Amino acid sequence: MDNTEAKYFHAIRILEDNCTGCTACVRVCPTEAIRVRDRKAVIDPNRCIDCGNCVATCQFHAIIPRSDSLELLHNFKYKVAIISSSYAGQFTEDISYGVAKQALYELGFDEVAEEAMVTNFMIRMIREYIRENRDKRPILSSNCPAVVRLIQVKYPSLLPNLFHQEAPMSILTRYLREKIAAERHLKDNELGIFLIVPCVAHVTAVHQPEGAYKHLQDGAFSIGMIYGKVREHLKKFQNNPMEVETFSKGLTWALSGVQAELVDCEDIRALSVNGIENVMDILSRVEDHYLDQYDYIVLRSCTNGCVGGCLNVENPFVAMSRIKKMIKEAPEQSFDEEPLSDLHDQGEFDVVPLTPRSILELDKDIKSAIQKMKKINEFLILLPGLNCSACGSPSCYALAEDIVQGRATIDDCVVLLKRHSHDEGAEDDSEE
Amino acid sequence: MAEYLNQNPLYQSAVETFFSDMPEAEVTLEFIVPEKDFNNAGKGSAEVKNLLKRLGVDSEILRRIAVASYEAEINVAAHSRGGKMVSNVYDELIHICFVDEGPGIGDIEQAMQPGFSTADDLVREMGFGAGLGLPNIKKNSDWMRIRSNAGDSTTLELIIFFA
Repeated sequence: MDNTEAKYFHAIRILEDNCTGCTACVRVCPTEAIRVRDRKAVIDPNRCIDCGNCVATCQFHAIIPRSDSLELLHNFKYKVAIISSSYAGQFTEDISYGVAKQALYELGFDEVAEEAMVTNFMIRMIREYIRENRDKRPILSSNCPAVVRLIQVKYPSLLPNLFHQEAPMSILTRYLREKIAAERHLKDNELGIFLIVPCVAHVTAVHQPEGAYKHLQDGAFSIGMIYGKVREHLKKFQNNPMEVETFSKGLTWALSGVQAELVDCEDIRALSVNGIENVMDILSRVEDHYLDQYDYIVLRSCTNGCVGGCLNVENPFVAMSRIKKMIKEAPEQSFDEEPLSDLHDQGEFDVVPLTPRSILELDKDIKSAIQKMKKINEFLILLPGLNCSACGSPSCYALAEDIVQGRATIDDCVVLLKRHSHDEGAEDDSEE
Repeated sequence: MAEYLNQNPLYQSAVETFFSDMPEAEVTLEFIVPEKDFNNAGKGSAEVKNLLKRLGVDSEILRRIAVASYEAEINVAAHSRGGKMVSNVYDELIHICFVDEGPGIGDIEQAMQPGFSTADDLVREMGFGAGLGLPNIKKNSDWMRIRSNAGDSTTLELIIFFA
């Protein structure tokens, strides 16, 4: 792979012993970040956006998400969990959200906060931002870390369009850290704040805070990893439910479509897009200014939004339907947003613009890039055009590019090799 | 043969030099644009945009190329009996040529008017045919030439410089 230094943390790792070199992951990667070389998959850290497609596709458990160990909790005196809204959709309907939330305390948390608490505040903040930034259209949501990274690597001209305010989990971390430390007289290293997340992109965001995720947490646990442990405690609380406050009305945050509907109003037209292929299609049209009629576009890498995250256990459509039911049945709740508004007014949630990380350019110099493209086209004519990935590159074009960039040779093409050996065999026959 | 020409005076001499030298293209992309195939119309210009991104063309110039080529490609699909799109990349510019198989443009000056459209119901149902295609191509290109005969084929060429 590239010799460029790996600057970026990723929450995905490959278990070489399990990898069969099947190339399934190579073909589903939206940024063509994976190659199979010497029969093992390798991820280019500069290209990977942590979308999780490869994790969901690999049948051999060779690409696994990194998740912190619950042991981490022992390092802190007071432990707080902030749960992703998609968590609520992971349980069968006989288990109330309150019970599912309560079970988390049994894992060792002293306090459980919900991303959903700040949904109303977020919607207000987003609307305000859209109205204050009339010169930029459309504004693109920055909550999904995979989408933000996708924009950095493939659509860098759209970086200024991102919503330059923090994401709910980051805002809550900022707010809770100060509040709890003061209330309980805790030192910095005594208070641990952890996220319970639905996808690898969020794990990465915790370990490499950037953009909308600027406030550092102490760890990230995947929903899938804690799910089994949570279930062990559910029965106990189901028979014996306690009064647990939940913020079901705010669970809309897990559903990209509903979030867009909430932002949409008389003077704001919002569009919801989910699924990484759809997101790429839309971003390309935004680049060409074909979607300037929209004020705000909610973009989520996974199907239906965060409920589609690859670390969830439930199907994204079933999870969405359950969450919608909870929202419908939930009583109105109040969450004191004033401290958040104060922080917002002080500019605490502002985000510095992100830098581009373009991966597409063949060369810094346009003339050299054109020469490389010319060579790529010459190789493309030689290659069979089957896009079979047997060489370990996602397509014939990608192999041609890899050859020109010195990362592969034409002998990697299995089909050509077979044809050549066949031709040679035919020649031998004629000689006989 | 009717001809319509529009050019940015800044590039006039560069365009003249280009046509008198007629250098060999560094990279060429060809696309067939079938009649009324709106599922695929736009793919040619998407490929061109992808190619130019890899070359590191400035994003604002890239947008102009993407819009001009997309509009022209849609025009071929919407108004002609089908045609092809040939994009030639040179060191400093891109030249894209659209040739169709008729039926030609009756009055080019009129066709250039924003809002003027001859699009049929099918095209309008697909969300095209607002009469902004040609004006958009004109606006976004550094040089543009249409040659057409009513009843015969139309050739639209455009040039956009990379800097």
